[in-house]
Amino acid sequence: MTEPAPNPAPRDAGQWARPVDKLNLSGVQAGGIRLNVEGRHLTGPIRGFGQMWQKTYWVRLPGAAAAPADVIAVWKAEFPNFWPKGNRFYGPLTGIRPGEVAVLNLAGPGGVTAPGDTPVIATGIMVIFADDVSFSFMTPEGHILAGLITFSAHTDEGATVAQVQALIRTMDPLYELMFRVGIGHKTEDDFWLATLRSLAARFGVNGLPQLRSALVDPRVQWSEAKNVWQNAAIRTGLYLPVALLKKVFRRA
Amino acid sequence: MATKMLETALRRHGDVAILDLTGEIDGFADEVLNAAYAAAEQTAPRAILLNFKGVDYINSTGIALIVGLLAQARRAGRKLLTCHLGPHYTEIFQITRLADFMSLYPDEASALAQDS
Repeated sequence: MTEPAPNPAPRDAGQWARPVDKLNLSGVQAGGIRLNVEGRHLTGPIRGFGQMWQKTYWVRLPGAAAAPADVIAVWKAEFPNFWPKGNRFYGPLTGIRPGEVAVLNLAGPGGVTAPGDTPVIATGIMVIFADDVSFSFMTPEGHILAGLITFSAHTDEGATVAQVQALIRTMDPLYELMFRVGIGHKTEDDFWLATLRSLAARFGVNGLPQLRSALVDPRVQWSEAKNVWQNAAIRTGLYLPVALLKKVFRRA
Repeated sequence: MATKMLETALRRHGDVAILDLTGEIDGFADEVLNAAYAAAEQTAPRAILLNFKGVDYINSTGIALIVGLLAQARRAGRKLLTCHLGPHYTEIFQITRLADFMSLYPDEASALAQDS
């Protein structure tokens, strides 16, 4: 058998981010704790420490007069509004487009925040892919999860379905421990199920989000245990006293 | 625009299984790609070479499928190689860090020569 014919110019060319050496925050909305993003490398699901999971969360939007492209347009434009309380997304000034970076300030497990409703984990994402019916983020070093997460919408049996699919490993042994005892999985699952409920409500649907998890690789990668030095939760925890003092002095 | 469903063909060269991929690698390619990879694995090759010469579209779901194949290969202690990615998909493999764990060759001959 011979090789297939050469491929023409790829039509996804404008939908992918260009490779970057390190992330920078120059195009990100002001505000939040801007730690653990600037100067960090992207990771992705191969570079993490823990077991690799594929988690798919979805919600059907029956009766919503919104095609998949309409859902994705709203999701991109109003992305932070759908997140659970205590979590903040400081997005790109130009919107969710390939190559743009965002700052995430996240609550801890169970929505726990520090005094003054201060988030306990500061990290970020980069938009690596976006088209009319989907967009994807990758995470930088120090994030809880080394992952690729794709937000998409499609039609199934006459209804539009909104979906979040995460291909993830925990970044380091401490995060993996949280996942092994169940806290990490519950926090992650609750987060995206709540997000999908909010998205469904935006389209006037009282949605019942579903979840499917698959263990893609049960092994841990000990060669990546060193990632713990960049653990965003620890680094944010060390910074929080400074952030709280800043808040107090701004009020004074 | 009409989509081109992924088609695959399996060949063998020595102890390398070669998977020729033609069409689009996206969410619809899930079953086809995983079935083709499983068929390649059944021949117990030392390495599996993914030939992207006929691929003209990959989205992020498609990249996630390839990550899944890489995880399977690493678990089995098998090399996963690629050829004919071209400059565009080479960039995508770099940004998604797939290039850190897969050998990328410009063509099939160089993949087979350098991996022998």
